[in-house]
Amino acid sequence: MPAAKIMSLADLAALIPDGASLAIGGSFLHRGPFAFVRELIRQGRRNLEIIKQSPGYDIDILCRAGCVAKARAGIVAMEGNFGLAPWYRRAVEKKQIVLEEHACMTLTAGLRAAAFGVPFQPVGGVHGSDLAALNKWASIKDPYGSGEDVWVIPPIRPDFAVIHANEVNELGDARIYGTFNWDRIMTRAARKVLVVGEKLESVAAFQERPELTLVPGFMVHGVAVVPHGAWPGSCWPLYEVDYPAVEAYMDTRGSLEAHMAQAPEIAESAHA
Amino acid sequence: MPEAWSGFSYIVVNLARFIRPGEVTFSGVNSTPPMLACLLAKRAYDFDFVYINVAGGVQPTPTTIPISSSDPALSQGSTSIFANEDFYDLCTRGGMDLCFLGAAQIDGLGRTNVSAIGDWHNPKVRLPGGGGAAVMLPTARRAVTWRTEHSRRTLVEKLDFITAAGGMHGVVTPIAVFVKRDGRLALQSWHPESSLEEVRSRTGFDFDASGAHATPQPTVREVAALRSLDPEGRFERDAGVSLR
Repeated sequence: MPAAKIMSLADLAALIPDGASLAIGGSFLHRGPFAFVRELIRQGRRNLEIIKQSPGYDIDILCRAGCVAKARAGIVAMEGNFGLAPWYRRAVEKKQIVLEEHACMTLTAGLRAAAFGVPFQPVGGVHGSDLAALNKWASIKDPYGSGEDVWVIPPIRPDFAVIHANEVNELGDARIYGTFNWDRIMTRAARKVLVVGEKLESVAAFQERPELTLVPGFMVHGVAVVPHGAWPGSCWPLYEVDYPAVEAYMDTRGSLEAHMAQAPEIAESAHA
Repeated sequence: MPEAWSGFSYIVVNLARFIRPGEVTFSGVNSTPPMLACLLAKRAYDFDFVYINVAGGVQPTPTTIPISSSDPALSQGSTSIFANEDFYDLCTRGGMDLCFLGAAQIDGLGRTNVSAIGDWHNPKVRLPGGGGAAVMLPTARRAVTWRTEHSRRTLVEKLDFITAAGGMHGVVTPIAVFVKRDGRLALQSWHPESSLEEVRSRTGFDFDASGAHATPQPTVREVAALRSLDPEGRFERDAGVSLR
């Protein structure tokens, strides 16, 4: 049996150095590794590059805490009924962070290029969009003679992909229930993969149904088990978005510390 | 006597009226009105269509209607998970018949800006960003959008930034329904409590209005379906749509 990969949330987050690029799993308020994100804040990480098609709470709270230098993102919002991500918005408008704006699928094309081991990846659409010139993307003519032009995106290779999974085992295998959003391609594109799991399952249970595993353990560098770790977001089918908690987070009269103090991983580590 | 429109019901029902039998129809993130429109069409219309959504749902039958249009609850009842890469690839290879997409600004060609108000590099307002539009708008067979505000700052002569080209097939606002004709948005109908003059005065781009008429009132089934999806009026309150 290979060595177990389970570690504490603090040790898992400590693997990320200042300045690292980080793909974050989930989408908006759903199944993001938010306990991990908060742990990066507690550890005072700086100058991170955040890579995600649809970040929201994660990039917003990281901007609020001053941890971010650059964002490569498709669509950024709190979503639900909360609208724009306020601290992210302010960070971009005040030029505190550099934004590389993508369409979700151009970011994915960059991740695919990295995952496939090729220098660029064609992507459908994009024709007529100012995003192409903004990002200096190239288009090439079909070398097989259809006469069509296609936009090609250079590789996006995150230093880390961090995802939140429903079930993990000690070998690092991870299962996700419901949609896995962009997590699959993120884990294939990144140099290292870190997983936060809701629940530790036996290796035998994974052996019974290997087709349910989204990320094989040999690709995973470390795992932490944090029940309720996607709070204040949802983790299908276990829990829904904690709307009052997100509302309190958005209230500018409240402090970041007060929000962080309510996080479930605090209680977990207290009796760990 | 037919039920009168509210600004909110006008948007949701008129989005639903773009849905056609047998087609593959998609609703995405940050898209409560299209989510409700797709679910409404399932309840109010007799034809079938393939409803897929950003939560991976394929023909879902959710038991509760989530506040977030990307909530995994929208895959309840689905027999498969059709995740993000799948529905984008379906769209770019020509398999998406109707795609609902958000927009902040829309021009007369049906192009959209969801990136920034003002100069992109010095934005007055940093908006959510590219999202699905730049890839889906040019590749979906038809794309339809909505605005809860009908004004010269949302329906503009010139976009601050062209996030997505390709052109919307349809646009629904609290007072008007536009449909693309000869490459430009043309007025199809207006809210019966509004008028062609009002639509013209509140729209930043020129449009053809030949054949336009007052929008037919919602049917009994459309009203009942929307009420069943929003029995306490929570979505209507959150949307905060007014005619003027």
